[in-house]
Amino acid sequence: MPRLALVALSIAGVALGALSAVALVADHTVHQQGRKFSFQSAIIKKGTPLTFVNDDTVPHNVASTTKGNEFDLGSQPPGASTDVTFTEAGEVQVICAIHPRMRMMVSVRD
Amino acid sequence: MLARSSVRGVLTMMIGALQSSVREHSRGASARGFRRSVLFSSAAATVFVGIIGCASITFGAAIVGRTRHVGLNPQPAMELDVLKAKYRRPAFIPFPRENPYTPEKASLGKRLFFDTRLSLSSSQSCASCHSPGFSWGDGLSVGVGHGMVKLGRRSPSIVNTAWATTFMWDGRWESLEEQALDPIQSAGELNMPIERLMDRLASVAGYKLLFAAAFPDEGMNPKTLADAIATYERTVVSDHAPFDAWIEGAEGAIPEQAKRGFVIFNTKGRCASCHEGWSFTNDGFHDIGIPSDDPGRARQLPQITKMNHAFKTPGLREIVRRGPYMHNGSIATLEEVVEHYDQGGIDRPSRSDLIGPLGLTSQEKVDLVAFLSTLTSNAAATTVPVLPR
Ligand SMILES: [Cu+2]
Repeated sequence: MPRLALVALSIAGVALGALSAVALVADHTVHQQGRKFSFQSAIIKKGTPLTFVNDDTVPHNVASTTKGNEFDLGSQPPGASTDVTFTEAGEVQVICAIHPRMRMMVSVRD
Repeated sequence: MLARSSVRGVLTMMIGALQSSVREHSRGASARGFRRSVLFSSAAATVFVGIIGCASITFGAAIVGRTRHVGLNPQPAMELDVLKAKYRRPAFIPFPRENPYTPEKASLGKRLFFDTRLSLSSSQSCASCHSPGFSWGDGLSVGVGHGMVKLGRRSPSIVNTAWATTFMWDGRWESLEEQALDPIQSAGELNMPIERLMDRLASVAGYKLLFAAAFPDEGMNPKTLADAIATYERTVVSDHAPFDAWIEGAEGAIPEQAKRGFVIFNTKGRCASCHEGWSFTNDGFHDIGIPSDDPGRARQLPQITKMNHAFKTPGLREIVRRGPYMHNGSIATLEEVVEHYDQGGIDRPSRSDLIGPLGLTSQEKVDLVAFLSTLTSNAAATTVPVLPR
């Protein structure tokens, strides 16, 4: 059972290297360096945007096919940052469609 | 020494060139229109430098908002030694906790893998399409199954599958254990109903003993059948190749031309963006612009544009012996494969942003093929097991 990371509202600076599955997603940002999401799981309030940053050297394709929260960012080039706002409460499986090892759970709370 | 430092110099230069070419390409391919001048220009990792995109909903209920670009730290020029370290062979084969290695399982699995009685017609085995003689493929453009009918895709090599994340060209199975039962039962392949297979194997005294030895608690059933085959398949690992000797420090193990090819592979050729690491794949899915109607990964992920015509990146070990190439065997030689990538294939919405004209010189193309040739091992002959009766 992966531990959940709490998405807090604070904008406290979190060093990139310190990000882990247990850290706070301080700025609502998920990084994608080294073909990995910086979190295995995250909790976020419905309606609060979660930002996916491609700080890697190759394009990624963040997406979800979880009913009610489907989205497809398409090919996201290195250096791009895109917000995704989940509109339905529930567990959302977020994937990179390109890289099957990249997957995370987002728990969307009311 | 001289050759080595010149390779390094070229590498440093070319990584810079790669960064700008990917940048250029990403921009060209993006519907949202990124402003190139600010990409990669800032040293700060999280400074937002502009808000370019506008809010849009791609599909479904989650709202995709503005896309901005962020300044990334410029990639430090990679030393050749650092790059080479990324290609070191692993020290051991990973086995999943749910199906750990035992010699009894692997030995049973090898017999099952080579046993034609796994097919309804008793004429085809796993090894018919995944033959050690063809580096664990079949040397055909597409596989041939039950009744000698051609399949839609090429038989993939099973070499180094112990490290794979998903299986089949479209990644429809997530474990080797799940995958193993698919071609056995598939009407177009071995066409063998699983219950009938279990009855057939149970009638072979030798198999009863082998299953009892490998699975003392579970005995013979579809799960243990799959566990045994998967365990054997995980032991199929590409042997040491001249490339490995070079990675481990033997400078003379591969020709200078191949060393130049390795640099191109990692830079201007963009090959290593997908053919990553010692087994030369990160298991990613890409449409590489091959003419074909096959939806590929889109069968699993129909809502995602980039998965149309996308297939799993195959590893490149033993690649010289694995032709013809691509998911449908449509390209006969490695020279033509390199030519395909240089031209970029069909430009369509699903095509990967990493694919596009590369502008390789004829020398660079020759160097790339020379490098790929160093991935071929002097594989020891595989013995065919004596099958139980
Ligand atoms: Cu990815």
